[in-house]
Formats: sequence, structure tokens, C-alpha cells
Amino acid sequence: MTGGYERTPPRPLAPISDYGLLGDTRTAALVDGDGGIDWLCVPRFDGEPLFGRLVGGPDAGTFRLGPAQPATVVERRYRRHTATLETTWEVRGGRLTLTEGMVAEVSGRLLPTTLIVRRLSTDDSAVDAVVQFDPRFGVRHRRPRVQHRRQALVCQWGSLAVSLGSAPRLSIEPGRPTSITVSPGRPVTLVLAVAHREPLIHVDPAAAWDLLTEDEDRWRDWTAEIDRSLPFREYVVRSLLTLRLLTYSPSRAPVAAPTTSLPEDPGGVRNWDYRYVWPRDASIGVSAFLSVGKPDEAQGFLAWLLHASRLQRPRLPALLTLHGRRVPAERELPGWPGYLGSVPVRVGNGAAGQHQLDGYGWVIDAAWAFVQAGHRLYTETWRAIRGFADIVARYWQEPDAGIWEVREPAQHVHSKLMGWLALDRALRIADTHPLSGRRRRRWQEARDAIAAEVRTSGFNPTAGSYVRSYGSDAFDAALLVLPLLDMDSVESPRVQGTINAVRDRLSAGGPLLYRYPPGSDGFHGTEGAFLPCSFWLVQALARTGRRTEAVELFQSMLDHASPLGLYAEELDPTTGAHLGNYPQTLTHAALVQAALAIRDAPAG
Amino acid sequence: MDWAGWALFGLVATAVLTAALITAQLAGLTRLDFPLVLGTLVTEDPDRARVVGFFIHLCAGQGFALGYAATFALLHRATWWIGALLGTVHVGIALTVLLPLLPGVHPRMASQRAGPASTAVLEPPGLFGVNYGIQTPAVVAVVHVFYGVVLGLLLRAH
Repeated sequence: MTGGYERTPPRPLAPISDYGLLGDTRTAALVDGDGGIDWLCVPRFDGEPLFGRLVGGPDAGTFRLGPAQPATVVERRYRRHTATLETTWEVRGGRLTLTEGMVAEVSGRLLPTTLIVRRLSTDDSAVDAVVQFDPRFGVRHRRPRVQHRRQALVCQWGSLAVSLGSAPRLSIEPGRPTSITVSPGRPVTLVLAVAHREPLIHVDPAAAWDLLTEDEDRWRDWTAEIDRSLPFREYVVRSLLTLRLLTYSPSRAPVAAPTTSLPEDPGGVRNWDYRYVWPRDASIGVSAFLSVGKPDEAQGFLAWLLHASRLQRPRLPALLTLHGRRVPAERELPGWPGYLGSVPVRVGNGAAGQHQLDGYGWVIDAAWAFVQAGHRLYTETWRAIRGFADIVARYWQEPDAGIWEVREPAQHVHSKLMGWLALDRALRIADTHPLSGRRRRRWQEARDAIAAEVRTSGFNPTAGSYVRSYGSDAFDAALLVLPLLDMDSVESPRVQGTINAVRDRLSAGGPLLYRYPPGSDGFHGTEGAFLPCSFWLVQALARTGRRTEAVELFQSMLDHASPLGLYAEELDPTTGAHLGNYPQTLTHAALVQAALAIRDAPAG
Repeated sequence: MDWAGWALFGLVATAVLTAALITAQLAGLTRLDFPLVLGTLVTEDPDRARVVGFFIHLCAGQGFALGYAATFALLHRATWWIGALLGTVHVGIALTVLLPLLPGVHPRMASQRAGPASTAVLEPPGLFGVNYGIQTPAVVAVVHVFYGVVLGLLLRAH
């Protein structure tokens, strides 16, 4: 039986930064300040959307639980050091609080793989609220086959089924708003369970609430292990928690973001699918987690990197799926209106086939960080690293797409620098791991040749800075990695000149930086300031003895976080709006790295 | 039943299967590595695991070879194509039953339900083992048919 659908006036989409992240380390939901879950893919981050209103329009499904009348959000926060989100509204006659989260730890128990728990409560007086449950599955926003069973409302689409249980029992019809009254001492709890190719498991709402509370304790224990001497610890903890929520536990792969096609240019075409894994992000994650006292997470990332790249080794793919498979070809979803009219909405990613030399540098540097932390690489891991270094030694002279994945390959200076880093760190690892003399000489020769060529062709003596590509006058914020390499001394005028040039010439105002000169990437439209670059600048300043500047810049960047401490990929320098997919692994990993650089910088 | 043949050729067939699988891995067709998967039941060091796993795999191969030898004896025939047919049945069971069940018993294999507390690092194979590469079912089918063909050619029916 299919329930009737009623067209209610669509809620306006919230700004990106208004969304909170709910996650269970297998998939994630985005919920706005109105209590609406507007994005959730099942059964994994890269699955099909169950609620897709964020980029799919009103027909793509949502799950709202909030006040019946317009209300003001008076407080919105994560419960301290947990992944549980609390939103409190002031409504006529009282306050209404929505507490919600996803149950992450379901192993070893008869629980559904995806379980969302949402509870409305009030302390003052009875408050009118509304439930709007409108699940639509897949790219065609299919309506479910609906059954009202004893335990719960069940919606089915072939091999996918979801159940919505409630306490007290509510009569909910998909697609129709249901009015409820929340009274003091009598909270309303809703539990959404998802079953994909397996039987549904119904969870009693009271038991589900207890599970969420247990999960909170686990997250508190997890965060308690994080280095207590970290500067800006609360912000770093939120970033690490976000990184962990965006790490797919079955394979330990960090997804770049849980969304697709949130625009870098609202109304424009720069809309990409980020529900995949970039080895670069995983590598930065290795160093970040190692340095804060989380070696298990670091080991998991490294294991995934080596396992996922196994099929194409010694070539390192630019990006992979959560299970290390080839990323599907990029395609557009017809009829999807996009976020604020930003079309096309894309799935798949066209950058998958690109040659990106810098990837090898990130990965081998991660392995070096692992060795530096006192671990020894397994023979197989070292064999893989040797293969990557061989590729760099052989192909470093070829043009590549670079870190910014431009579609016309060029001789990117940042890529060459990362090629240098790959060989240098591989040679450092070889000090404690077996390597033939012939190979060592080949790597040394290639490393020295890269340094010589970059200093000649990649440096603009007039500007006193390295530049974006050979013969170019343009700058590139990715060059801020320079002080981390040790290719040139941190006191060298080349390093200081590059930091200053990037800061001056790519400034987007305040602490913000463009990644390269706007409008120079061949795509229509413009883009915002690229947030990881600002954190790389913090890191560069801290590493070059400019700690005070680094701290000031870091503090300014904290002002640009969303109210919940989350970051997208970019920020509109004029309006301060977050742009691009959200929340973004690379930005949060860069924030952690920046804080670590401040921690390790000499005072002064 | 051909007990002497079983004792020797079971090992030969398993060695052929393993060699074919390693060839497929080196050719970039699959990430499935039976010795690694089995050996990590015992140790987390992948290099040691492969050695231990190779011997576990040999033992398992002997066990399956016993079934092949018994079937040939029952049928009073041992030919390459009967071996290939048995290999097809064998791989069907391996892909649809044994591999998907593995996360339930393997201490170092994550499951699709793994959460933050999981310290397992071995990726689960998924249905038909496709998490180890989309060609994995085809590779596994081919190497098991090899295994059956070898036994069909070398074992005697009586």
C-alpha cells in the first residue's frame, strides 16, 4: 500500500554552514537548524540518497523533526566530545530541544547497520511540534511501498527497507506532516533503522536512546586519549572527531566529504562529487592522528592506502572508492535542481584517471611519519613504497594535473616539490630498511635533479618566490608546503619569499587565501577562498619561526568555522558563506596539522 | 579411493591454484590473497601471515581434495571436465558462503558493520568478494576450475 502524499510549502534551504553532521563512520546525515535531515546516503557514504533535498530539491526527500511554528534557534551544539547534536528552539510558551545522533558501534549485537535516534523534549510547558518523514530513494526520488506494522512504519524499495519507530506511538504517514505535542517529562523519540540486503531489525526507541548514550561515552573515551597539550584543543578535538566520523570503518578509508555537488560557486557549474577517497587526505590523516596520540587510526589509514592501491600498483590512483575500486565515470543527474540552482549535480568523478605526481609525495611522507614514530614497515609495505618511489624517479619530468586537478596537464612546481619529497622520504626510510645500492643511487640522482630543475625553472627571481608552473608568473598556495620539505632551509630567502608572495598575491582578505589566481582554471565562474590553504599558511609560519603570526592567523580562521565547528572546502570572502562539499576532510586535517605545527614551534 | 593420489595431488592442485591467484594479483586483476586472509587468523604481520596462511591453505586444499577424490570414486570416473564441474560447485560455495561468512570469525577482518571501536584492518570481501576488485569472482572461479581440472587429470577413480 502506498500512502498519500501532500505537497507542503517547501522550506528554504539553509546556508551550508547551518548544517550539522550526524555520522556513524559508515555513512553520514546533514541536518539543518530547522531539524531537517536533508542529506543521507545509504548504506554507505557513496550509496544512493534516502533524503536528498539538499541538492535534489523538494521531491528528493527529507526527515524533519522540529517546532510546528516558526521558531528561533537559541542554542545549537554538539554534546561535549561526542557526535550527538542538540538544537534548542525558543517557541511560544517554552523551549523545545532536539537531541539526535547515529549509533556508531553496532558490531557484535543484533542492531541495524544504520540507526538514527532523534528525541524532542521540553522542560517548560507543552510545545507543538511536527514530524515530516518523506524518504525518497535513489536518483529518481522513488516513493516507498509503505506498511504500518505493529512495531513501526516500514518503507521498502526492493532490497532496501527503512523502519521508523516512535515512542509514544505516532501515526506517521510518509510525505505528510504529523502534528505532535511534546510535554515536559514526556519526550518524543523517533528511531530510523535501515536495512540493505538484510532483514530489518527493529529497535525499541528507549533501547535506541540508551545505545546513543553508550556511544557518547565511547566518543568521550576516544577524545580523552587525544594529546592534552594541544593548543586550541577543543577545536582540534572537533576536527579529529569529524575526521573519524568521515572515516569509513569497514575499510578505514577517509571520505573527502559526505556530499556531492554542493557548489564552489553558487549557481555555477563547479559542483563535484566528493564521496570518494583521495590518497592525499588519507596521508595527511596518518600524520595528524599519529601526532595527537591516535596510532590505531593512523595505522588504519596507511593499511587502507596500501590495500586500495594494490590493483594499480606501482601507479597511485588520484582517487578511489571506499573499498579501493575505480571511481565511477562522472555523470550528471538530469532533473536535479542542485543547491540554490547550482547545476549540474554530478555523481562519479572525472579526476580519477589523472596523473597527479604529488600523491606519491603525500603517501611516502605518511610512511616516513609512521617510521619516525618508531614503527617498522612490513616488508610488503616497504615494497609498495619502493614501487611508488621508482615511479617518481622515472616519470617526474612529465606534466601532471597537479593537486588542483586541472584538466590541462602542466609542469606544476608543487608536484615537482612533492616528487622531491617522495624520493627524499623514501631515502630516509631506506636508512632503516633494506635497499639496493643501485636503486638508492637512482633515487638520489632523481631527487637532486628535481631540486636543480625546480630552482631553475620553477623560481621567479624577480618575485623572489617559487611559482605555480614552469615559466608562469602565477602563484600557488599549495607551495606553502615548502617549509615542511627541508629541500631549502626554512631560513632561506626562497622559502620566506614564497610564503610572503603567496600571502600577498593570493590573499582573499583577512586570513583567507585563494588556492591560485581566481579564474585561471578554465572553468566558468569563480570560486571562493580555499580553506586548507589558510591552515597551510599557519603551518608554514609556525615552521619558519613566525609563531605569533601563526597563532593570530589560526585564531582568525576559527572565526570562520560554522557554528558547530565544521568547515567546508571554501569560503566566500565577501559574504563569509561556506562553499563546496561539507564538511571537508582536507580542511579539518589541515586544521589539525596547523595546530600541531603551533604546538611544535618554539615560543616567540 | 586413490589415497596416494589424494596425498600428493591435493598439494599439487592447491599449489597450482595459489600460483594462478598470485599471477592474477600481479596482473592487477584482484586483491584477494588467500594465504594473507588465512594467515592473518594467526598473526597480523602480513609477511609471516602469508607463510602461515600458505600452509593453512594447503591443509584446506587437502580437505577439499578429499571431497573430489571421494566423488571420483563414487562416480567411478575421474576426468578433467568432471574436475572442472566440481571446481565450479566448489567456487560457488566459496564465493557465496565461505567468503561472506569470513568476517564473522576472522579476528582481524572488519565487517560492513564495523564501527569506531574496530581495530580490525583487513577489509571484508563483500558479496562474491567484489570488495577485492570487480574481477575477483571471475578470477576465483578460474583458479578453482584449474584446481578441479588438475585433480581430475591426476587422481584415479579407484
